[in-house]
Amino acid sequence: MKKHDKNRNVAIIGIGQTTLSSHKEDQNQVEMVNEAVKNALADANMTLDDIDCIVHGNMELFEMQFQPDMWHALDCGSYGKEEFRITTGGTVGATLVCASDSLVASGQYDTVLCLGFEKLQEGNTTGGITNMADPLWFRNLQTGALTSSTANEMIKEFGKERVLRAAMKYRIMIDKHAMLNERAHRRLGLEYDQLENLMETSPQLVGDLRLIHMCSQSDGACAMVLTNEDRVKKGTAKPPVWIRDHETSHRGENMSNLYGAQKPKSTHRDCAEKLFMRNGITNPLEYFDVFEMYDPSAFWGLDWLREFLLLKDDEVLKLMEANEFDLDGKLPVNPSGGVIASNPIGATAMLRPAEAALQIRGDAGGHQIKKEVRHALASGFGGTLWTVMLMLEKELNW
Amino acid sequence: MTCKCEDIKDCFVIEARMALPNQYFVGRIGSKWIIAMRDKKKLTGLKCDKCNITYVPPREHCNKCGATIADNWVDVGTTGEIVNFTIVNYNDKHLPKKAPYILGQIKLDGADTPLTHIVADVDPADVHVGMKVKAVFAEGPVNTLMQLDHFEPV
Amino acid sequence: MAEFFGTTVADIFNTMPKRFKPEASKGVDVVIGYDCGGEGGGKWKLTVKDQAARIETVEGDLGPCTATIIASDAETFIGVTLQKIGAIDALSQGKMKVIGDTRMLMTLLPQIFVQYTVPAKKTEVTARGILSAIGERFRPDKAAGVTLKYGYDLTGEGGGQFTITIANGTCTLKEGLDADLAVKMTMEAATYVGMMTGTIDGAAAFTSGKVRIDGDMMAAAATGKYFDKYVDPNAEEAEELLSLKKITSINQRFATGPVMGKWFAGLREKKLLASVCPVCRRTLILPQEICQFCHVRTKEYVELGPEGYVTNFDLVYFASPDPLSGEVRDTPYACAWIMLEGATPEDAFAFEIKKEDLPKLKIGSRVRPTWAEKPTGSFRDILYFEIID
Repeated sequence: MKKHDKNRNVAIIGIGQTTLSSHKEDQNQVEMVNEAVKNALADANMTLDDIDCIVHGNMELFEMQFQPDMWHALDCGSYGKEEFRITTGGTVGATLVCASDSLVASGQYDTVLCLGFEKLQEGNTTGGITNMADPLWFRNLQTGALTSSTANEMIKEFGKERVLRAAMKYRIMIDKHAMLNERAHRRLGLEYDQLENLMETSPQLVGDLRLIHMCSQSDGACAMVLTNEDRVKKGTAKPPVWIRDHETSHRGENMSNLYGAQKPKSTHRDCAEKLFMRNGITNPLEYFDVFEMYDPSAFWGLDWLREFLLLKDDEVLKLMEANEFDLDGKLPVNPSGGVIASNPIGATAMLRPAEAALQIRGDAGGHQIKKEVRHALASGFGGTLWTVMLMLEKELNW
Repeated sequence: MTCKCEDIKDCFVIEARMALPNQYFVGRIGSKWIIAMRDKKKLTGLKCDKCNITYVPPREHCNKCGATIADNWVDVGTTGEIVNFTIVNYNDKHLPKKAPYILGQIKLDGADTPLTHIVADVDPADVHVGMKVKAVFAEGPVNTLMQLDHFEPV
Repeated sequence: MAEFFGTTVADIFNTMPKRFKPEASKGVDVVIGYDCGGEGGGKWKLTVKDQAARIETVEGDLGPCTATIIASDAETFIGVTLQKIGAIDALSQGKMKVIGDTRMLMTLLPQIFVQYTVPAKKTEVTARGILSAIGERFRPDKAAGVTLKYGYDLTGEGGGQFTITIANGTCTLKEGLDADLAVKMTMEAATYVGMMTGTIDGAAAFTSGKVRIDGDMMAAAATGKYFDKYVDPNAEEAEELLSLKKITSINQRFATGPVMGKWFAGLREKKLLASVCPVCRRTLILPQEICQFCHVRTKEYVELGPEGYVTNFDLVYFASPDPLSGEVRDTPYACAWIMLEGATPEDAFAFEIKKEDLPKLKIGSRVRPTWAEKPTGSFRDILYFEIID
């Protein structure tokens, strides 16, 4: 087991989001970024003078804007400060938090502001994603993030009817959560009695993947303020949320090699195993009170829960069928509505720990879980096989 | 690591192209600024009364004190002074003009921040810091920064 | 008729011929049925063929259509058309349905029709009103040293004859046409109003014969610059938000290096080559220099296939742009993962399946590549994989 100790503990003390919508025509990029930064600073009751370093990121190629960090310098507050730019694809938001955590934990900076954003309406997302494939091969075959390969695998394992029903149920559950979150982008008002109708009528995109299963394309930004234990002890505006640990896992395969005769271990399972073993978590389903998961589609959401929670056989389907991922279930999943409801990609993976932290603080508003949230899990996903996980805690007692 | 001789025979260079449609939302403030040039042939800016700074191009908030100044529009002059410049001497399909051309930073009368734009109708040898210039607007609707076509000497 | 968002369903269809772009519809041959329920709804049929569009109202059955778009009510239909309601939301909520080829809705229609906009509210602007206030818009600085007399002969409702004189830095207007005009412009009063309020393009009106110019053409062209642009005083001040649209096109060159290069060299001989990890014996396809698990350099190559079987596939209905050409791909098409003979179990190879074979494509199908006549060492050397059982 690799050493993953921190020099000092790190807490999230400020969270700022913009609303998430399909079009932000009235705000340009810098103005949108500034809104998130201002909200995060207000939440922390701080000014830019309290920030030592800015960590900035989004997914390159989505706005076709070169070096947005330079353009945003005045508006994200990095002018005159140190700044890092990070871009790791879909995971970028989560990686920004991990990097900020490490920067504070190392002792190099006391207080760091991280910022993730995207204006997906300004670019061509599927076109952008296909460009991540090998330029010499496969780029012309790629379908972006749209794939039914996971649906195919699940159907092979559990049967078509059961999988399609469970995936649509997951989708409707997510919408019910999003309906409670005022900031969420797509809030459709779906009901469970529409399940069969949606399974037939929603337009097919790829194989069994239908339009309704897929995440949205959103505009929005998220910013967070992280600081060290000593600073927290001097008092904070809002209760601190501690970042206990984080882990990143990836593999070298290209999309074109994925589905051989033998399935390799997923990066999600690999990441979860490392993180839980290091922290002595033997039953994640019991330990965590909420999971904000990066779920780009209903099939992925369902399949990945199995991997992240280290479930066996059809346990994940049983839990889904028994409503255990609802807000009052065993482990509430994506109370915010998750990625399917709102997906400004560069901010998406930061919204996961941000929303998880709001749950711990009890500040989530309409989508706050009723029972106390002490231990939260958040994940990010990107590339073909790139997973980031973060563990958040209410108390500094592990 | 350098390639061994026998390796190089299998090295290819593949020509490729990437074509992606995209758009940029100028935003409420940017739109107002360009529309004032288009419809009124006027240059405007946003002013922070507290810091007494007028921003051209307009900015939503004061970069000094951080106050939101989105509604505090003021007119600035269509004339100003070159505070810095460079001469572009190479041609590229992505550049707005054929070389050589002058890219100047112009501090408009009444503004406190310089605006970068093309300076035309002057020999590159004659352009200098402190030169007085005036704005020349495009005739038809352009709806970009090029609604202000260029600056020329007064 | 029921009005939503300031317009009706009928107006959307009535303006279709005007909004049609014949030049963008080359080779398009479709019939699209529309069925809009509720008050203000109805049925329409659009036929696009030979670069012409015909729209008709339909009573009863729509008959055979390439695609049918069904909206539950007029508000949904108008809202989606105006992009006030998200198409994806309407589709997801079941308020809108598409039967047949969904590409119509997503890619084809926006290409061959100009986006519908709500017709502007009628305002009290008249030609006489615009001209009587012309002095207020006059720019003496622009007209310094200019002496020009020109006239408008405005016909039809609200028309009249006017002479404008620019001299000594002033501008005067009088009714009637003087004999010594430098130029006279004749048009319908409504055309003049349209040009001034921006609904009619001046150059297009002239080209299409809506405006006749007698006299000095250059003087006519110059008149605009002596005045500020006319601002319609009655028009609602709708907030105009600008956006900049472009296609960023970048030429690229990629060096294969000697390992990936082996793959392309192999293609020229119709061979699918993988590199082999000397430690774990994995077959890496496309060939890679380093085994990611063993962190050692691969040295040997092995030919895989050419036959294999399908382990998973994506049957694609959603038309996305080909990032290499920017063109929208024909759907459906399938990308399949294939276990080539001799490959290690975790290492599939993905490629497109022959279009004609799609109906029989299933997991387990045996496939083999079909090669281009003369492989040159490019990704176009394999045309597709065909099903052989």
